[in-house]
Amino acid sequence: MTAFWDTFYLFLLDAWFAWIPAVGFAMVFNVPRKMLIYCALGGAFAHSLRFLLMHFSMPIEWATLIASTSMGFLGLYWSRKHLIPRPVFTVASVIPMIPGSYAFAAMVGLVEINTGGYSLELMQVVMENGLRTLFILTALSFGLALPSILIYRGRPIV
Amino acid sequence: MNLSKEQQTELTRIAVLAGQTLHQHGAESRLIEQTTQRLGLALGADNIELSISPDAIVVTTLISGHCVTTTRRCFDRGINMQMVCDVQRICVMAEKKLLDAQEVKKRLQRLKPFKHNRWLVVLMIGFSCASFSHFFDGDTAVYWTTFVASSLAMLLRQELAHRHHNPFVIFASAAFVATTVTSLGVVLEVGEHPQIAMAASVLLLVPGFPLINAVSDMLKGYISMGIARWVFATLLAVSVSIGIVAAMTVTGVSGWAH
Repeated sequence: MTAFWDTFYLFLLDAWFAWIPAVGFAMVFNVPRKMLIYCALGGAFAHSLRFLLMHFSMPIEWATLIASTSMGFLGLYWSRKHLIPRPVFTVASVIPMIPGSYAFAAMVGLVEINTGGYSLELMQVVMENGLRTLFILTALSFGLALPSILIYRGRPIV
Repeated sequence: MNLSKEQQTELTRIAVLAGQTLHQHGAESRLIEQTTQRLGLALGADNIELSISPDAIVVTTLISGHCVTTTRRCFDRGINMQMVCDVQRICVMAEKKLLDAQEVKKRLQRLKPFKHNRWLVVLMIGFSCASFSHFFDGDTAVYWTTFVASSLAMLLRQELAHRHHNPFVIFASAAFVATTVTSLGVVLEVGEHPQIAMAASVLLLVPGFPLINAVSDMLKGYISMGIARWVFATLLAVSVSIGIVAAMTVTGVSGWAH
């Protein structure tokens, strides 16, 4: 029972820390003020769902795919309700899941191979981080695009 | 509906203005295409064809056998979702016959990009990157180091963007500032794992929107737009990493790739 409450506490903590970047980046993208609350809800929902799935030992790519697909469908509902294009909610909501530090680690590794010479460890850093970035990012965008690929084929959503 | 030659030219101009506005403010390609077509059809065209390329948009309207074609250059004006929302709303209103061509044109020309209060953005971005440091298991000291570093970087980014500097220069300098501040954290041994702050404080510079747009454009069949966005985002990430490496060379601290 305590294990359950510990997980629940971590889940809530994750949701709390995920809404902040979602709103922060939504403000950089100039999302209208009334829609910021949906970005906050979406960010908290998607990231904490991914946390939960990863907690039950699902690989990060598949967890990201499931979280972003749910976010895509949630965005579909909000978009139909408010007559607002879907990227307004969905992109800011998945920003906390973007593999930014993997991407930069791969790039910094590349620059260091140039300055310090080739080594197996650096190449490992570049390949592992680069591939992880690629797969997580593809899962993220693919999940968001699923509603318009599967249901709204060629038709406008709003 | 029978439109005269002048009316058709006017309609083409209105449709291309909508497409151009969406393109300049970072809408994905399918949204640009659909909205432009719907607006044109709602205003009485028989058919609208458009070709979207990374830096321009070409629109042709067809009315009773006559074509009018026009091209507009699209310079990047920065991502602005409020503009995308407004163009979409005008399109929906035109479809419901609430607006006529003149009214649509007036409203499209009147649109002004809305910007959030810059100090509020700096504050929220500071807390955003600080939250990322929490996700990387940083402690409270690391949290506040990240907050200070990324707020300073965001401030610099806004100042340079306001002066219309090149985006690659902006991203490299912001990464340099953030990494320099967090390297000081490593030198002064602030918190348990000060290297976490180095990783978290540059996350405000991840080109997330172009990357997601790139993949979703490619998925929906706009391969050339997707490649262009992907290359742009990759170049931004490369300039960020050059900023990071420059700062690490200056301060002599290494926090990445080890």
